[in-house]
Amino acid sequence: MNTRRASLWLVGALAAISVIAAACGSAPGVGPTTKGKITVGGFKFPESSILAQIYGQALAHAGYDVTYKLNIGQREIVAPALKNGDIDLYAGYTASDLEFWNNKAKEASGDPVAETAKLNSHLDSQGLVALDPSKAQDQNAFAVTKAIQQQYNLTKMSDLAPIGDKLVLGAGSECPTRPFCLPGLQQTYGIHFKAFKALDTDGPLTRAAFKNGTIQVGLVFSADADLDSLGLVVLDDDKHLQNADNVVPVLRKQVASDDVKAILNKVSAGLSTADLVALNAKVSLDHQDPDAVAKAYLESHNYFS
Amino acid sequence: MRFFGEVWRWFGDPTHWQGPDGIPTRIAEHIHLSAESLAVAAVIALPAGIVLGHYGRFGGLAINISNAGRALPSFGILVVAFQVFGLGDLPVVLALVALAVPPMVTNSYVALREVDADIREAARGMGYRELAQVLRVELPLAVPLIMGGVRTSAVQVVATATLGAAIAGGGLGRYIIDGIATQDYVKTAAGAVLVALLAFATEVGLAGVQRLLVPRGLRLLNAPAAARTTTFKVA
Repeated sequence: MNTRRASLWLVGALAAISVIAAACGSAPGVGPTTKGKITVGGFKFPESSILAQIYGQALAHAGYDVTYKLNIGQREIVAPALKNGDIDLYAGYTASDLEFWNNKAKEASGDPVAETAKLNSHLDSQGLVALDPSKAQDQNAFAVTKAIQQQYNLTKMSDLAPIGDKLVLGAGSECPTRPFCLPGLQQTYGIHFKAFKALDTDGPLTRAAFKNGTIQVGLVFSADADLDSLGLVVLDDDKHLQNADNVVPVLRKQVASDDVKAILNKVSAGLSTADLVALNAKVSLDHQDPDAVAKAYLESHNYFS
Repeated sequence: MRFFGEVWRWFGDPTHWQGPDGIPTRIAEHIHLSAESLAVAAVIALPAGIVLGHYGRFGGLAINISNAGRALPSFGILVVAFQVFGLGDLPVVLALVALAVPPMVTNSYVALREVDADIREAARGMGYRELAQVLRVELPLAVPLIMGGVRTSAVQVVATATLGAAIAGGGLGRYIIDGIATQDYVKTAAGAVLVALLAFATEVGLAGVQRLLVPRGLRLLNAPAAARTTTFKVA
């Protein structure tokens, strides 16, 4: 008797699950039939999530089945994920990606188009491709607090060389191994800091460290919207340590059909640095979700019409 | 196997033994942070456990409250405390104290409860006042159990202090976090090995301290009969 009742329950539960599963399965079928699955990945900072959502939602609107894997980590983790096919696409940056995929061969320059061509020569054998670079730039930059800036009358990076031994630099753990970061500051500018503090790349740790005086110089992104309200001043990169870091989609050739390329290139072509600053402001200052910010951007720029 | 060879060679590299990111500095930071947290926790937990155990009251309450600390994930405390207090040692110490308090409260409470009622009575009969009874009769008998709690806490604290590196702190967690950030997994593994060794050394070191604190009479009680007779040298 008992076993029969148990099996009845089991049948009932299975039936319920299959109904739910069928409902879930049929939901995407209501829209246009899917053109294929694309997984969009992102680096662990807000702007990357916004860009991933913008590219991803544009693809979803065109009928692709898009899933997101955001805040994965830094390039050392995201790039292998792309190579392995865990993700199909990420929004990269011309100089940073070039110097990553070419194993720090120092090919980056001030020209995003040339950088992308060189990037593609390294990506080609890996089954990957970078599309047209966008006009939108977000460079790595070094900021100081306003107090330090006034105290030493700083305007450009080379002003730091004589006083570097009085200042502490804060950046992500990878900074001491990156040519644009600690090694570059030492070789190009001759700045030798008193100490290096491993924090994050322009995230909450860096902000907290600026706030309580642990660091005086920190790595930030030039398109950050809240630098001014945090009391930070970006120093001019007068010896051009940072290269042109324009937003560029990097994807697996398997998913890079002409249709996908056209959609992504259209989004890249419409994006400007001012857009980037405004988008970042909505996330970091107004605390909106990256997916909502991306949706609003695409709607207001008529991508959905 | 090659990986272990690389980890071994990492330890052999003299540049890893000097400077602000050198092994001695990181171990010193790690011990400093752990000792600080353990000391704060001991100041809170041991008197509470001892007093409650002596009177045999509110024990369940105290143990339940401190066990709530065990249920709170250390990383959660760390992140919330970081939002409130910003960068520095304080968020890490708070997370570690919450971790270290429960075993010490529980063990010291039980330790005092476990003292033989006959011995308590005998102490009172010999004219000990309450404070003296606690300090000179009950506490010495309770030392093995209390120290058991301290050892448990200390090992957990040393192992968990690695979390401090997640909010830009120092210590051996730096190797683990920095190693992951740069995909230098040899460095990460070396950091993990160092943490394990330090936790082990803590356990062994505190076992030594415990030996020194346990009264001779109690040690002889557990020793074989032959050892007991030979030590009765002085009358």
